Amino acid sequence: MLRLLNLALIGALVLAAAWVYEIKYSSTLQAEAVARLRAEIRRERDAIAALRAEWAQLDNPDRIQILAQRHLTLKPIDATQFDPLDHLPERPIDIVPPGSADPIGALIETMVDPEVMTGSVPAREERP
Amino acid sequence: MSSTARAEAPAEPWRRRLVRVLLYGRNADRGAKARGRVGLAIAAFATVYAVIALRLVLFAVAPDNHVARRTGSQDAVATARPDILDRNGEILATDVRMPSLFGEPRRLIDVDEAAELLTAELPDLDAGELRERLGSKRGFVWLKREIKPQQQQEIHRLGIPGIGFLSENKRVYPNGAEVSHLIGHVNIDNQGIAGMEKWLDGQGLADLHRAGFASDRQQKPIELAVDLRVQHALRDELIAAAEKFKAKAAAGVVVDVNTGEIIAMVSVPDYDPNNPRQANDPTRINRMTTGVFELGSTFKALTIAMALDSGKVTLSSAFDARMPLRYGRFAIHDYHAQNRVLSVPEIFTYSSNIGTARIALTLGVEHHKWFLRKMGQLDRLRTELPESAEPIVPKRWGELNTVTIAFGHGLSVAPLQAVMGINALVNGGYLIPPTFLRRSAEEARALATQVVKPETSEKMRYLLRLNAEKGTATKADVKGYYVGGKTGTSEKVVNGRYAHNRLLNTFTAILPADKPRYQLLLILDEPQPLKETFGYATSGWNAVPTAGKVIARIAPLLGIEPRFDLPPADRLILGKGQGTVASNQ
Repeated sequence: MLRLLNLALIGALVLAAAWVYEIKYSSTLQAEAVARLRAEIRRERDAIAALRAEWAQLDNPDRIQILAQRHLTLKPIDATQFDPLDHLPERPIDIVPPGSADPIGALIETMVDPEVMTGSVPAREERP
Repeated sequence: MSSTARAEAPAEPWRRRLVRVLLYGRNADRGAKARGRVGLAIAAFATVYAVIALRLVLFAVAPDNHVARRTGSQDAVATARPDILDRNGEILATDVRMPSLFGEPRRLIDVDEAAELLTAELPDLDAGELRERLGSKRGFVWLKREIKPQQQQEIHRLGIPGIGFLSENKRVYPNGAEVSHLIGHVNIDNQGIAGMEKWLDGQGLADLHRAGFASDRQQKPIELAVDLRVQHALRDELIAAAEKFKAKAAAGVVVDVNTGEIIAMVSVPDYDPNNPRQANDPTRINRMTTGVFELGSTFKALTIAMALDSGKVTLSSAFDARMPLRYGRFAIHDYHAQNRVLSVPEIFTYSSNIGTARIALTLGVEHHKWFLRKMGQLDRLRTELPESAEPIVPKRWGELNTVTIAFGHGLSVAPLQAVMGINALVNGGYLIPPTFLRRSAEEARALATQVVKPETSEKMRYLLRLNAEKGTATKADVKGYYVGGKTGTSEKVVNGRYAHNRLLNTFTAILPADKPRYQLLLILDEPQPLKETFGYATSGWNAVPTAGKVIARIAPLLGIEPRFDLPPADRLILGKGQGTVASNQ
């Protein structure tokens, strides 16, 4: 009885030792993987920083201005070219009813209809 | 245990008895002793296991990170700095990792061969110096900082023993000279030595560096108040203006009136912070904070605000400007002489020296001094930038000083200082210290001190707008933005006398004048008269049109909505009923 217990304990001890070894070994592997990933992240981050710096350099307004003046016919915007939002005209009423599954078909249908309807002259019942 | 006891009891061999007697004595109770010993052993082992268990728990709670530390050991010599961004997140300064070449002379085998191979690969390396460095007895020498990755590859392939690389952080300014004065620069060891970079070091970064931390780039970026687009527009126009008017220098600043944030600050000629050697050139100083100037008529705004705020002078008060004001052996003249009695708005729009001097004299020297001190014009203005200049205040401040300072001569201040003062005149009377960092209106309000009454501020807005409608600043009145402004033309002192042909022209604009959001101050240093300015070199002919161009470019960037067909200043700002000023003009 006691011998059996002892044997069991010895077995458990060996198993536990093997298990601990296994954990230790895999944790070392994990730690190495983490270190590798850290190094990789660091490298990627450095690469990102270098690319961002390069982008900022290419995006520099001075450079863009020189390029724009050389290649484009655009001119600086004038105050009169701005218009406030409340000067925007009302949105015209849709020819095609919104949410229809077949917009082209609906468009043809409205054209076939004897009562021709345009954006500016909506049907009587659709008029707000 | 019990089985051995049972086996012992019937017959004990004599040898074993002898051993027992020798070891334990004749009558010792072995059972009790053994129990005590077992108890002791259990206690000892229990303690050991408890310690081990405790250690395990401790390890689990705080895992040691020696693995992570090991990977970082071979790089990161020069310390990392946080990125600096503008208010829209554009990068103004960032770190890029660059390999640097070093040598370990003690491990070198053949110095001459190494030097020869290296100079072949890096032609800009000085051969004599290289040989001397490699021949020294030291353990470590830098050979070349910041080499290109392909050069690193090539040198690595040469396989010279005792030569190695360390990757270092190098500060890069992608926008070059665009933000030079504002952002400053760093030295080869990535320590800030000017501008906001130096300020950053003062914020505890230097201590981090010294302690050996801050080698990673995981630092929170610093967001500045500057807007790169506005900065560029301002700089572009200033360079064009300096070239057109053959000015020695030009400078400008755009400030948010309500928060004190500096949206743009330019002083040309400037330098490229990637190549900071130029920064030591004295003509390239930052004229906005490091230079002090007599700002001329722009200062009249302060004088008139003082008078209006005191209550002793109103907008309809009249002052005699018929004759030059004689003071001792000096006579004060008007540039746009009207030779009549002028009202306060007329004094402002005609920029009358005589009128402004008389206004200041009615309030007295002490009041004048007190007011300017309150407006922060007599003390050094400190911002985040380490560079700042003390204003030059007359040691003995008599009536003559008050007369000249009233129209902007005899007191030299840093332009940014004047900007702060004029801000307070138009934003409802709050003196807000300018800042290069982001700041909300509430934070600004908490910092601000009320220096003039809100009504005075309203009148000043009216006067500034009036000046753009019918005064010296008409050329800056960009349609749609309701600009207000004040010009200033001051003569420079050369050998103790004012030189008529060496001018310092200033112009300060507020936009929109009825509810100011931004202030722009421009300075042109010694602009020359041109044919198209009809031989004039005063501010209205060069600084003002330049400001007009700047405003037309930056107003859309700043999100100022253009409005047309606005009524003139006396109706919009002062209210319809008070048309008294308009009627007598």
